[in-house]
Amino acid sequence: MPRNRTVRLAVLGSSVQRAAASGYPSTRSSALKRRIVVGGLVLLSLVLITVSFRSTALDGFQGTAASALRPFEVAATRVSAPFRDAVGWFDGVLNAKAENARLKRKIAALQAQLATDQGAIDENLGLKAALHYQGPPTVAKDYRPVAAAVLSNPLSPIDESITVTAGTSAGVEAGDPVVAPAANGGLVGIVSRAASDSARVTLITDSESQVAGVDNSSPSAQGLVRRGGGPGDTLVFARVPKQAPVNPGDTIVTMGSLGGTYQSLFPANIPVGTVAYVNDSDVSTFHEIQVNPFVNLGDLRTVVVLVKKHR
Amino acid sequence: MNGLKAAVVLFVAALLQLSVLSAYHPFRASSVVLVALLSIALLRGSLFGAVAGFGIGLVLDCATLGTLGVTSLLLTIGGFWIGRYGETTARDRFHAPYLSVLVVTCVYAFGQLVLQFVLGEPAPAAAVVHALPLGVVVNLLLTLPVYALVRRLFPPAELSERVREVRLLG
Repeated sequence: MPRNRTVRLAVLGSSVQRAAASGYPSTRSSALKRRIVVGGLVLLSLVLITVSFRSTALDGFQGTAASALRPFEVAATRVSAPFRDAVGWFDGVLNAKAENARLKRKIAALQAQLATDQGAIDENLGLKAALHYQGPPTVAKDYRPVAAAVLSNPLSPIDESITVTAGTSAGVEAGDPVVAPAANGGLVGIVSRAASDSARVTLITDSESQVAGVDNSSPSAQGLVRRGGGPGDTLVFARVPKQAPVNPGDTIVTMGSLGGTYQSLFPANIPVGTVAYVNDSDVSTFHEIQVNPFVNLGDLRTVVVLVKKHR
Repeated sequence: MNGLKAAVVLFVAALLQLSVLSAYHPFRASSVVLVALLSIALLRGSLFGAVAGFGIGLVLDCATLGTLGVTSLLLTIGGFWIGRYGETTARDRFHAPYLSVLVVTCVYAFGQLVLQFVLGEPAPAAAVVHALPLGVVVNLLLTLPVYALVRRLFPPAELSERVREVRLLG
């Protein structure tokens, strides 16, 4: 008997009938259904992107949904708090010795500087009072602090924003500056979007963020603090003329503005960071200055939103 | 029932990502939501993956007050694609979840970058490229426990039930 072992015979010529299985989408009708559903979802996503990006029509829905999710996020944060504290404790123990030595050196330097600065501060206050000097808006005088917990930190390398638990119900609006709590007080960013009970804060490390800053030790060194080119939270203090002296260790603070058409969004004298590195190239008319932010922007738990007293 | 289980798994993953993991730098480049979604899509198919991806993307966009639809679009496509892979060539292959996570992590990162660019928002490609290797490694490490958990919750259907059509060539 001739042997004929073709695949066609094996499958189609067999007298044994296979049982038809069910439940999995492989037929043409289910393929069509699959394509329709996926196409619909993609189309719906594109519509959502367009509407959300071009108008504020979906802001109400988004704000309500964010408020509904908030209790779950707060609960998750509270449940995880002991574990985060444990990780922080181990990290602190590992770095404690080096940090202790560094802080002792810093305290000695600051004590010496404080003695020098105290006289200058008293003199400055006396002169301002005598001249009835009207300076730029300051945190203490013109802003009301609203403390908020951080609901979520940045979710991806290109997302330089956090979500906080204060929203329009607490008076927070887009454009309000955000700083770290009082112990540090460094600049965190700016409110870019506010819902009723939560707000999205764009960090100063966002590539579109620019803050007018000034060197505290050298008032002529004024420029823009913005994101550095490399990875991480490093900032650069750009467009500072070479003639202005800037040294490593100097503190950069927000410059604020005295008024005019384009007022600074930030009040004056909020610490931004310390100068880590200064380089001058022959071809550039500006310093190349690298700044380390005061605030660890990758691990924020609470922030303070500065709400203007008079809008 | 499967839908409810998937919703719970993805919601818990989203909360974990938003409230816990995002505080730690290595997890910023990775996503436990993506890994959970791909695991579910691999075991339950393309339609399920696409719908689950759209839903959880919407939840993430709402929670972060980001542009609605961006994460939904990316996760819908990712869930659908890996679902198709699971329905076809990935059956019972040990490497399937790892390969899926490896490929989709890269595609997701660059997809996000492209969408940001198209929307005219900051799209620093250097940051993505720098963070991607760590993101891939962390996601692959997350795949082992997450896929094991998801596989326990969504046991794969028997192979005999899945194969119901053979196309002969020649």
